[in-house]
Amino acid sequence: MRAIALTVAMLFCAWVSSAPAQEPVDARDIIDRVDRILRGESSRGVATMEVVTEHWERQVTMELWSLGTDYSLVRVRAPQKEAGTATLMADGNIWNYLPKVERTIKLPASMMGGSWLGSHFTNDDVVKESQLIEDFDIEIAFDGERDGVAVWELLLTPKPEAPVVWGSIEFQVRQADDMPLWAKYYDEDGELSRTMEYSEFAVLGGRLVPAVMHMYPSDKPGERTTLLYEELEFNIDLDPSFFSLRTLQRRR
Amino acid sequence: MSESPWLRIGWRNLGRNRKRTGLTAIGLAIGFGANVFVVGWSEGLMAEMVESATSLVNGQIEIHDVEFRPERSLYDTIGGREGTDVEALLRVIDGDVSVVAAAPRVYAGGLVSSGEATSAGMFMGIDPVRELALTRFLDQLVDGRLPVTGQNELLVGEEMARQLSTSVGDELVVVASGADGSMANDLYTLVGIFRSGLTELDATFVVMPVGDLQTLVVLSPNRVHEIAVATADPMVAEATAARLADILPSVDSAIEVVPWTVLNPVMVDYVALADSMYFVIILIVFGIAIFGVANSMLMATFERRREFAVMLALGATPRSVWAVVLSEGLAVGVVSLVLGAVVTFPLMVWFHNAPPDLSMFLESDVTLMGALLSPSLRVEYDVPYWCTCAAALIVTALLAALYPAMRAGRTLPADTLSGL
Repeated sequence: MRAIALTVAMLFCAWVSSAPAQEPVDARDIIDRVDRILRGESSRGVATMEVVTEHWERQVTMELWSLGTDYSLVRVRAPQKEAGTATLMADGNIWNYLPKVERTIKLPASMMGGSWLGSHFTNDDVVKESQLIEDFDIEIAFDGERDGVAVWELLLTPKPEAPVVWGSIEFQVRQADDMPLWAKYYDEDGELSRTMEYSEFAVLGGRLVPAVMHMYPSDKPGERTTLLYEELEFNIDLDPSFFSLRTLQRRR
Repeated sequence: MSESPWLRIGWRNLGRNRKRTGLTAIGLAIGFGANVFVVGWSEGLMAEMVESATSLVNGQIEIHDVEFRPERSLYDTIGGREGTDVEALLRVIDGDVSVVAAAPRVYAGGLVSSGEATSAGMFMGIDPVRELALTRFLDQLVDGRLPVTGQNELLVGEEMARQLSTSVGDELVVVASGADGSMANDLYTLVGIFRSGLTELDATFVVMPVGDLQTLVVLSPNRVHEIAVATADPMVAEATAARLADILPSVDSAIEVVPWTVLNPVMVDYVALADSMYFVIILIVFGIAIFGVANSMLMATFERRREFAVMLALGATPRSVWAVVLSEGLAVGVVSLVLGAVVTFPLMVWFHNAPPDLSMFLESDVTLMGALLSPSLRVEYDVPYWCTCAAALIVTALLAALYPAMRAGRTLPADTLSGL
């Protein structure tokens, strides 16, 4: 009987000490954790990008490598017509390798706002993976349940000198596992510009991640870009020399 | 002039002080000449601006899918997604009496790269033969020749060639978004360099045969974005556009036929503003002249106050004295007009047909409202305006004579003749 009482008491203590509601929540910590979910120090993955526009639909399968926030490399595997096409992002620059003509071209600064691989993402989106906690002031706008799920809703407003194009960003994050559920990006006039939705939470590369991301541009109703991660590995052996023009031009 | 004694007296009085008459007449003649000349030059500038804006690249009329402007999307081709029979469309357009030339065009945005350098480009697919009849910017290439269909050849502007450090014969990589979403890319040979004089155009436009651009961006041959049309005179563009809109064969998606006056309303406003300024010029020039003429008329009548006193003493009415002075004003006006016309019109003919070239004083091209202007002082003829100026000159002379005439009519004969 004593033993039972002790066990109950211990369990109670354990519950009290682990109850998240009792701890002060730091908005910056939440965003930092969310920000790091899909970005290890280094990573490699395979993803399929599905782009649906008013005029066409296409799927591109690609292999991706990244190192920190400065380096990444994307190589198209399918469709066959474009296989080998690769994009290298290093130190804020973008190079494209075009296997059909066996040439590499560096993207001029004026094209950074252009579409990346025909998707609704811009080249700038891909290069400037700015760390949210550095560029934004973050506050918790909502802390409670939505549809029976405990979530935080965070409002991110850019710091005065931050080099970002957004007027504000809203994030909804699941409290249980820090998974982002959606993000809404507003332009400087406060108009909704794009919505990101995260789903299919799965363990990839030993980490719980949203395996599917949808991006809906507000100015093009009915259009979307979806990114499905098929493979992901984190903290693999990569160094900056991998992100070179020579690697870019390798066909496989 | 022989019918009225007053007119005859007025005319003869001009000879009383020839120097003064001559100076007055020269003043008015210069006013007339300056008006005609300044307005002629301004109209020359406007005409050239409109001509340059519509014939350098654009054409006086553009035919598009109704959705094409202002976003100029790759997908908004004439006839919608299915395209249209471009040849049939061109035949109908060519059949119009006012149409001088018509040419199909395809546009796409993308990148051009040479070695390390890459530039954003606006690709323009053209039919080289038809385009030459329509626009001027390809008439004289800085270097090289026009591209041949099916050979992966293209032209770039002088400024883009400079930015890419490329020259005729070099290989360029072209990347564009295909209509199927693919990243279209291919190698092309630079076969020519054009120079329109408009920096923006020379830095961004890449010209290739329409079929080659359609292949690159995955558009079928019956899909074009635009048919540009040239009319004999920019001023008939509106009427021609309306006519074409009625006779063009109907296609799935609505077609719009837009004259330059709709595409470039700012230029239309600018020309209208210039037109309205001409009246102000008349007011200013003759407004200044009127005081000079009035002054000399006042002097002339003052000198002749005894003559007027005698006329009045002999029974002439003040009205007839007015008539004498006003006749003199009219005579000065007529002499000035003849003098002005004799000096101005040969100058106008000269400046119209062989205007002096000012290019030696200018370092770069002159552009106005996005139109390239030749650095010359070419004048345009405007007969109605000349008539207005002539009328304004006569009115000025008469108005200037009005006050002296009234004063002369009020001369008191007894006082004046007795020397008071």
